[in-house]
Amino acid sequence: MTVFSLIIINKAGGLVYQREFQPGLRKLSTNDYLVLAGTFHGVHAITRSITPKLPLSTASTAATTPTSSNMPPTPGIPNSFTPGSAFTFPNPGTPATGLECLETDKFRLTCFQTLTGTKFLLFTDPIMGNIDVVMKKVYELYADYVMKNPFYQLEMPVRCEAFDRHLGGWLRGRT
Amino acid sequence: MAHPPRHSAMLSLSNSGSSANSDKQQPPQQIQHIANTGLRVPSNRKTIYDRHLNRSRNAEISRSSFAFLFGEMVTYAQRRVTGIQDLEKRLNEQGYPMGLRLLDLLYYRTITSSTSSSLASSSTSTAPPNRPLRILPLLHLIHGPLWRLLFNRPADALEHSVSPDTPNEYMITDNDPLVNAYVSVPKEMHMLNCAAFVAGIIEGVCDGCGFEAKVTAHNQPTELWPGRTIFLVRFGESVMEREKVLERAGIK
Amino acid sequence: MSATKASRIGEELWKTRIDKVNAELVTLTYGTIVAQLCQDYDSNYQEVNKQLDKMGYNIGMRLIEDFLAKSGVGRCSNFRETADMIAKVGFKIFLNISPTVTNWTSDNNQFSLVFDENPLADFVELPDDGRAQDELWFSNILCGVLRGALEMVQMQVDAHFVSDVLRGDDATEMRVSLVRYIEDEMPPEEE
Repeated sequence: MTVFSLIIINKAGGLVYQREFQPGLRKLSTNDYLVLAGTFHGVHAITRSITPKLPLSTASTAATTPTSSNMPPTPGIPNSFTPGSAFTFPNPGTPATGLECLETDKFRLTCFQTLTGTKFLLFTDPIMGNIDVVMKKVYELYADYVMKNPFYQLEMPVRCEAFDRHLGGWLRGRT
Repeated sequence: MAHPPRHSAMLSLSNSGSSANSDKQQPPQQIQHIANTGLRVPSNRKTIYDRHLNRSRNAEISRSSFAFLFGEMVTYAQRRVTGIQDLEKRLNEQGYPMGLRLLDLLYYRTITSSTSSSLASSSTSTAPPNRPLRILPLLHLIHGPLWRLLFNRPADALEHSVSPDTPNEYMITDNDPLVNAYVSVPKEMHMLNCAAFVAGIIEGVCDGCGFEAKVTAHNQPTELWPGRTIFLVRFGESVMEREKVLERAGIK
Repeated sequence: MSATKASRIGEELWKTRIDKVNAELVTLTYGTIVAQLCQDYDSNYQEVNKQLDKMGYNIGMRLIEDFLAKSGVGRCSNFRETADMIAKVGFKIFLNISPTVTNWTSDNNQFSLVFDENPLADFVELPDDGRAQDELWFSNILCGVLRGALEMVQMQVDAHFVSDVLRGDDATEMRVSLVRYIEDEMPPEEE
């Protein structure tokens, strides 16, 4: 169960958080991290844009995700929202995801983009499973200790002592 | 009654809590009371006078909602201040009227729960309020019932200053104040403790009881409790003098 | 997703995933905020409404992350689904209430939330100054919260109260209109 490090990229592609938890990867300079964040952000956007959109008819009837399978088709709704397009993307309908995973011999890089556009990147051991559990917890801790901190300004670098403390504590508890 | 100027600050919106106040007897007929005001009421009469004051006693709301509201209160206070002390003063002032209101609510609930058993036949309005006369009962009211009402648990410690120079100082400890749960104070403001808001609540309760006091919140972190906070309660001279008189008279 | 399904999700989250506090703490804290604004803005209620909306907007932009992190729900497929998600999951997990979604316009771009309960306004009577009941929207912070939260998930909405029991109305109702879906993040549409 090895989580090497976490970085958080804001909506504009800026690096707002970087932290190492366990040794195993070689150190990067701060500048390299900034480049990594910006580059990943750009590549991610491109991988999103080459993902095919869902035709409207499919989106509203075939009820794309398992959670929305009960949804009755609601005629006449979606068309009014997509200006001059027969496709539905990104709203309404299923979002197109971008790059989610990169792998080398020594590590796996998993990206989770929230619906608001913030990206969490976890560097883990390639054999580690259940990364989604770790990712979900990281997101929850971020929602608690970053978003609820009145001294945190949105989109700015994350300097929240309680976030560091709880994140570190939770990951230590898992190893 | 101790500080008219501060009391007046809470009058801009009326809370039903104030109806339990002793100097403001509610008219016997609720309808008359409403008719006396110029306020419109819904035809289904869904007003505060038609709902039981205890209906929200055990109601719950998400802790996140409180955190977001409190965070916005801190952000708003920050816009209008010059420094940390000023910010703490401002937060204290926000808590103060809440303390006055909570005091009424606490009285009301202790009265109604004690009379329901012993004084079932007599009117509750004649029952003497359970008002603390001495410092210790007041502090116990804060440490226990007030903390439970606000935070669902009692405070962690209550101490009296050991210094002979400051017999008027008492300390209430909270190892992990709810209000600070998600707050990380920036390094350059490390002296700040946003629980100054809670200090204001305590001050409101003390003043409302007739115990003039100044209350401040201080960081006292330990390894186990990084958010540990001491609320320093400093009673005014008049309170200390009265305390001596009451002690001689044998009043507890 | 159907409204009943959204209700189930909301109930389940409220029961299992939500840390709670005494409702009176929240009610009194909110009342304190409004009272402070009335004092700071000298009972200029239009300005108080504006400030409350602004505070709500700030909260909404942050609260959306908490909503998404806790609920784990994905993007809604249309505005009707969004409305149910707000009423049955959002309001449920933050305030433990489920306002009724009603009064849709035929283009499905506008609806009302009707509140049977409003914990923010428990204990509240507006000032009897002949103006507050005509000018102040006591719970206006909620409009800002919706505006801020939805903007973060690419929906620009307008939200405002149209009636409030505190003003003597028979119901408390908020009107929510979709202005547009925000697509600036995406590459331009190809023709």
